[in-house]
Amino acid sequence: MIAVAWRNVRHRPGGFVATFLSAFLGAALLMAFASLLDTASDVDETSGESLSTTGSVGDGWCLIIVAFAVTSTLTLAVRQREQQIALLRSVGATGPQLRRMIVGEAVVVALVASAVAVPVGWLLGRVLVDLLRDTGQVASTVDARFGPIALTVGFGVTVLGSLVAGVATSRRTAAHGPRRQRPWRRRIVAGLFLLTGANCAVLTATLMDGKGIDAMQTAGQAGIWASIGLALLAPELLRLVTAVLLPVVRLFGAPGELALREPRLASAVMPVLIFTGIATGTVYMQGIEDRAARGQIPSGYAQDIKTLNYVVVGMITVFVAIMLVNTLIAATAHRRREFAQQRLAGATRGQVLGMVALEGVLITVTGVLGGLAASMFTILPFGSARAGRVWPEASPLAFGIVAVIAAGLTAAALVQTARRTVRGPATAAAHA
Amino acid sequence: MTDVVRLESLSRTYDGGVTALDGVTAAFPAGSFTAVMGPSGSGKSTLLQCAAGLDRPTSGRVFIDGAELTATKDTAMTKFRRTRVGFVFQDYNLLPSLTVAQNVVLPLRLAGRRADRRRVRMVLGQLGLGDRTDELPERLSGGQRQRVAVARALVAEPAVVFADEPTGALDLRSARQVLTLLRSVVHEHGRTVVMVTHDPVAAAYADAVLFLADGRLAGSLRAPTADAVAERLAHLGDRVGVAA
Repeated sequence: MIAVAWRNVRHRPGGFVATFLSAFLGAALLMAFASLLDTASDVDETSGESLSTTGSVGDGWCLIIVAFAVTSTLTLAVRQREQQIALLRSVGATGPQLRRMIVGEAVVVALVASAVAVPVGWLLGRVLVDLLRDTGQVASTVDARFGPIALTVGFGVTVLGSLVAGVATSRRTAAHGPRRQRPWRRRIVAGLFLLTGANCAVLTATLMDGKGIDAMQTAGQAGIWASIGLALLAPELLRLVTAVLLPVVRLFGAPGELALREPRLASAVMPVLIFTGIATGTVYMQGIEDRAARGQIPSGYAQDIKTLNYVVVGMITVFVAIMLVNTLIAATAHRRREFAQQRLAGATRGQVLGMVALEGVLITVTGVLGGLAASMFTILPFGSARAGRVWPEASPLAFGIVAVIAAGLTAAALVQTARRTVRGPATAAAHA
Repeated sequence: MTDVVRLESLSRTYDGGVTALDGVTAAFPAGSFTAVMGPSGSGKSTLLQCAAGLDRPTSGRVFIDGAELTATKDTAMTKFRRTRVGFVFQDYNLLPSLTVAQNVVLPLRLAGRRADRRRVRMVLGQLGLGDRTDELPERLSGGQRQRVAVARALVAEPAVVFADEPTGALDLRSARQVLTLLRSVVHEHGRTVVMVTHDPVAAAYADAVLFLADGRLAGSLRAPTADAVAERLAHLGDRVGVAA
């Protein structure tokens, strides 16, 4: 089956682009941050500490994101090939064989992605060291290094992460019969994530009160847990938003009615919500910190954290963009037949695209509002712990920018893929 | 009798040089039920799709209800179809996320017209689906789904209903129900139905059969019986062979 896996990757590289991109970006960033640890091995103590902090915190972030992004892209890549998997099963492939094939594909993609990531990681590592040097966080004599730690972490985490993601995906897809819907299990897991987030938030507001910048650790985590928890509740949130927006969407006639009927949107809400939640939380947290530390000379540590926070927001933006586009492309391609049927029933291309645009509005509103709620798990307790006021004295402009980015990414990905899907005659697509 | 559908030397050549239709001229009078038959690859589905405005002929003209289908843009073709043509597909093409009643009124809603819900319920009641109006299609049998599709094709009161292998996916009993329904649509409600089929028994429900072979007309039969149709089909190859 490994041979089949290898041939699959070679024969249809397009199906693995999203998985490859997530693994490649992840590996490059992992290597860049890990190379700081290589650099730290042979420098003065302050510089070494600064490098180690930046390197390990950055790698921790990458780990979460790589695991999440690779799992989600891989799941979709496999789901898109239900037909091929059914075919293999019908010619005698067993469940374990199919599992080996899927895991094999994941590992092949991860290995190639890590190898390609080496030069990029090396370059990014140099940029990071330059950045730290320019802001005076490490001595100007420090030279960037790229060594065994960078390679081990880069290859190790990416391949291992893909292996785990592949196993998780294959267990779900290679099982016989249609996938059972288990909303209660999902809701319970979501509840656990939210509880953990709330716990972190309470810890921030109580235990970390007065601990200064260190409160960021628990506050940041609170927002991440809450974002993932709420993202898992996407179907419920979407239903809520849809119910509220019902009269508005109805105004658009038939396309509006069709948009309200489409249950498949929830998977697209997840990346939007996580992006908005973590980006908003992190940006406002840094804003509170900046204001609280105003007048003091910022320590090297605070500088490191500040740099990191913005790097993290940038990274999440890129990853979420990939995930969002990937999710929407997969979901929309799946709907080729549905779009064709609507057109055969008398819908013009414009009406189909209108329906998709309205769906995009529902996705964005749900994701952005859910993300805003999740970001409060970070912002409110951190404000209370660091600045002594729960509601930050910040303008909503930064949140506005985050929301605009979320809306722009969703709209671009959704309309672009839908437009490609309705190209060509409807009669052919209805049988696809 | 006036002709509801008129096709003038219709040809359709696909990219790659395959000729599916080769100069077909035909007319379908108002209030008639016609079956179009022929072996696989004879161009019968292409004929139906060109006539219904779902596909564009390479050359030739299509008139429906006196108006020529001149639109070439997808949107314009869709709008032309909406008011004049109903279509029934072999695999139903009902939208899985809409209920039976919503599926039926969809063409009206897409055209921005108000749906008379009482009338829709009445029609569905007549089709024996009165208690299923709020169900999703997946809960219906194939025969029930196809009857919903027929109701949908009729809802906009089109000049003609085209049916492409409407019984191709059905068991014998459901097929008979759907064919009887199509017949009553013509004979009791005065509509015009053109149906593509490969099944002589299905064709025998029609008033006339038009035979196609290799993209050309290969004769017709009035008041067909299943045996007569099967007989003609079996010898279509001979006739084409002689003509060529």
